[in-house]
Amino acid sequence: MIVESLALGKRSLTKWARNPFAVIATSLQALFWLALFGNSFSPANAFTSTAGGSLGALQQAFSGAPNYITFLTPGVVGIVALVGMSFQGVDLVFDRITGYIDLLRAFPIPRTSIYFGGVVQNIGKGMVATPIAFLLALVVPNGLRLADGFGVINVIGVLATMAVLTTVFSMFFTGLAMSVKSTDSFFGAINFLTFPIMFASTAFFPLSFFPAWLKPIAQANPISLACDAMRLLLVNGSLSVSQASAFLWDWAGLLVYGVVFAALGITMARNALRAR
Amino acid sequence: MNSTIEVEGLTKTFSPENRAVDAVSFKVGEGEVFSLLGPNGAGKTTTIRMLTTVTSITEGKAMVGGYDVREDPGAVRGLIGVVPQEVTLDNELKGMENLLLTAKLCRVPDQTAKSKARDLLRLVELEDSANRRVGTYSGGMKRRLQLVTALIHNPRVLFLDEPTVGLDIQTRTKIWDYIGHLNRDQGLTILMTTHYLEEADKLSDIVAIMDHGVIKVSGSPSDLKESLHGDVLTVAVEDGGEDLTRFLRSVPSVTEVTHVDHSYRLKLPKVESALPAIIASIASRNLRITETSFSKPTLDQVFLEVTGRSMRDAQEANGHSSNGGSYAAAHRSEAK
Repeated sequence: MIVESLALGKRSLTKWARNPFAVIATSLQALFWLALFGNSFSPANAFTSTAGGSLGALQQAFSGAPNYITFLTPGVVGIVALVGMSFQGVDLVFDRITGYIDLLRAFPIPRTSIYFGGVVQNIGKGMVATPIAFLLALVVPNGLRLADGFGVINVIGVLATMAVLTTVFSMFFTGLAMSVKSTDSFFGAINFLTFPIMFASTAFFPLSFFPAWLKPIAQANPISLACDAMRLLLVNGSLSVSQASAFLWDWAGLLVYGVVFAALGITMARNALRAR
Repeated sequence: MNSTIEVEGLTKTFSPENRAVDAVSFKVGEGEVFSLLGPNGAGKTTTIRMLTTVTSITEGKAMVGGYDVREDPGAVRGLIGVVPQEVTLDNELKGMENLLLTAKLCRVPDQTAKSKARDLLRLVELEDSANRRVGTYSGGMKRRLQLVTALIHNPRVLFLDEPTVGLDIQTRTKIWDYIGHLNRDQGLTILMTTHYLEEADKLSDIVAIMDHGVIKVSGSPSDLKESLHGDVLTVAVEDGGEDLTRFLRSVPSVTEVTHVDHSYRLKLPKVESALPAIIASIASRNLRITETSFSKPTLDQVFLEVTGRSMRDAQEANGHSSNGGSYAAAHRSEAK
């Protein structure tokens, strides 16, 4: 199954790489969030007013980030992962419409490899797009400021968190893409799901900004878990015991999502691929 | 002859009112070309989809290559190649890449795959375009590539769903040549669907005429045509009259004579052998022949005989264009 999944993943990635517009559009999405939203959002200006002294209450609320874009960067990574993983599934919808998936169903391959091929291509695209978001955050005005002591371990931790978040979303949205029967249903489902996931998370605002009823939802959101883990690594060069513990809890939460979304995704895909 | 495909009472019901395939039975011998001929909506594609394990079987039994399609679909998939009606190639990939992708999915070793891919591209005269993106190919080139993509893993049985639909006559003729070559030289068993009468006539060992989910009649194209009891000879004669009608009815091989104005329409088993004698007899009665024509029976006439309507009428009655009823479209209608 691995060989077939990788072959199908490579097929989509090759097509994607040969379509410069798709690659550029994915990268520019992060740039717009960082340069436009990150610079125009007012809390960034509030941080500036507190410069020169100890961290203000507002800055503390934003995870101790030295500026808003440093806080926002993991959020943008989360949004790029969410939007990217959800919309990339359209390839599978078109494969179904054009009959390619039906053709694959007549191939001597495990049918779940069609699902995992979709997961592989999504992760591949996500692992290009999310590091680009980070690199862009370093170069935009008032951009990402890394903590003293930010080193190789932090880079690995950030990349690994991106990979896990990308995989979590890919597992779910690939299954969803395989189970819808038209592009209209697909885009309807994506729009219905992505906005609440995006805004009920700590991608843009710290948890303390949320009303009490929304806090548990925002806290348990996979984007929040990934953002919190990445922020710990970005804002603090080395982690204290309590910070390391918080980091591990965030990761544990992401892994649980990974298992649950994989189960959901495989179930949706199997159901869609079953002979009827 | 050993049967490579055996189908017994195959039925597909999508709803109580929609019996797409109704108790169809047939056998395809090893190395035979078997065609399901019928208008769109006849149930041809649904039959192929059941045999290729894509659509479930409601009732009946189907064996492909000795394996039960219901019980052992994985083994069946290992034996077959499928060419759907719609082009499913990747436009952004090169011709060779499309072939190698299928080879990889079918676990063909890399080195074998490359040499096999080159051979197949040569077979369909695409070797010079192997490293061009498929998006730059013409429709005919794509169809040729699609045909050989299904052969990269040396299947024993090839399923072709309307292999030449929408193609111009030159490209269609080429595809027929390739299919004939694959069957003759490689001994491939082929089951294809078509609504082109000449395609079924030219390529098939056995034709099964299908309409409303049922096989109406099957046999070799020549047997089916002979079952209509002969050719039709039309002779226009000045001042023939009823005397000539009586005379023509007395000619031993003539089975039927109809007389309209100056035209006499004769039905006889083989027009070539009887024609000289008939012409000579008419001339000997000092009658002047102004026109003669004859026609061999066609599969369309067979279709008319068994269904009560011509293929063209059937197509129009089903409200389909010439490229409707595809492998994927069938799936979409199933999914509703």
